[in-house]
Amino acid sequence: MAQVIVVTSGKGGVGKTTSSAAIATGLAQRGKKTVVIDFDVGLRNLDLIMGVERRVVFDIVNVVQGEAKLSQALIKDKRVPGLSILPASQTRDKDALTKEGVQAIIEELSQEFDYIVCDSPAGIEKGALMSLYFADQAIVVTNPEVSSVRDSDRILGVLQSKSKRAEEKKEPVKQHLLLTRYDAARVERGEMLKLEDVLEILAIPLLGVIPESESVLKASNAGNPVIMDTESQAGQAYSDAVSRFLGEERPHRFLDVEKKKGLLGRLFGGRAA
Amino acid sequence: MSATARPASPPEVFRLRASNYSLLTLRLLSGDVQAVLPALGDQFRRAPGFLRFAPIAIGLDDLGGEQVDFHALIHGLRALEILPIGVVGGSQPLRAAAAGAGLPTLRPSGQRETEVEAPSPVGAPPVNVAPPVMAEPPRPAMPRTMMVTQAVRAGQRIYAQGSDLIIIGSVNAGSEVIADGNIHIYGALRGRAVAGASEDGEARIFAQNFDPELVAISGFYAVREGLSSTPIGRGVQVRLDGEQLRFDPLG
Repeated sequence: MAQVIVVTSGKGGVGKTTSSAAIATGLAQRGKKTVVIDFDVGLRNLDLIMGVERRVVFDIVNVVQGEAKLSQALIKDKRVPGLSILPASQTRDKDALTKEGVQAIIEELSQEFDYIVCDSPAGIEKGALMSLYFADQAIVVTNPEVSSVRDSDRILGVLQSKSKRAEEKKEPVKQHLLLTRYDAARVERGEMLKLEDVLEILAIPLLGVIPESESVLKASNAGNPVIMDTESQAGQAYSDAVSRFLGEERPHRFLDVEKKKGLLGRLFGGRAA
Repeated sequence: MSATARPASPPEVFRLRASNYSLLTLRLLSGDVQAVLPALGDQFRRAPGFLRFAPIAIGLDDLGGEQVDFHALIHGLRALEILPIGVVGGSQPLRAAAAGAGLPTLRPSGQRETEVEAPSPVGAPPVNVAPPVMAEPPRPAMPRTMMVTQAVRAGQRIYAQGSDLIIIGSVNAGSEVIADGNIHIYGALRGRAVAGASEDGEARIFAQNFDPELVAISGFYAVREGLSSTPIGRGVQVRLDGEQLRFDPLG
């Protein structure tokens, strides 16, 4: 049976899709057969981040409504073997998804894949509920700011009460915290919440801290998951997070401001590359 | 009557409101069901259609120590097309027996709650308290404290009806914990805490790390803005002194 992982946050713009793409790619790079599903029907983005937007023929709504077979809608990634993408529809809305339809898709994908990564839309409405309902594990993406932490707290409560595991009183969904857009310098200046503060409020295990990095935007625009940029700190941090997800021990990196800055660093504002 | 509520989830499919209704009360002057039922039957035969399918409460105040076979009574009343929905007054064992037969204890309106009912979870989080089960007579004499072992998260609401509330974890911002009795929070209180919700001015709130959005006891409340002089971030107990909330350090 495949493990179903939902990448969720409550709040929008914190890095769910970036993280979904990076984690799915990282799992596939480690030899796990992985499919990543875009649940953001109507605001389809994952295909752009994954760089497959020109290959989309059918989407999840077509499959749910029986207009296409799952195999027709799945897009195989050309860079990483064992990685597939199931895109969302751009022209429909979230009501086009049904629990039965999504269940059928997840059951069929379970036959073939090791991991099913569900990229949740923002909010706590139908699309988000649909994406987390079947989850075995949840990666909660949070930025070090008050509103994001509050919304993550809310979504953790939703996972406790509205997931299939909760409804069937099974072992609860395993929760992981992924703190993204972490800017050590701004944390030091007190402009962002500290890692310890976020951990204290949310009280779930830390999967990783992804530093704020220009390489994320660059990678998104180029359609390359940032985890493939092994030079960048964000890419390395995602790689560490995937290793931890698979049970390896990795020390947390990029938590502190780099001590010495060269002349070039000072000239260019010292942002992480 | 005790009501078990779950949080309204989108889309909203119900609302819970307190309402008052007039009910006829059938005061039992004898506990002998076999004597009561035929007498009732006679009465109703003389006025056919009277009270047909009317809901009634059964008054137990006049019975003293007598036993009542509630199963037989319910059965007989239904045969007369009278629908008993609960009991009023009477001794503790009698009410327990009635509850065992599926007749909850009704509270006359205007009278302060003297009974403590089994706590029923209102919030979503897993709570180790089962909702009251009709089949087994509850032991209202010993109010159970409602215990929440996890963090209470934003958007969650917990109500300990008729009892104290203990929360082992933290009460996060954007959440709400309510108890008819005292509230004890062993983590941080960052959300709202409402103690003595059924107007019990003696109720108190205790928090190891006091950092609330709002606290209230028996309807008297304080929002965070008004708490600048209280020991925020420390162990605090909140109590009501007349019409003033008092904040004292714990320990």
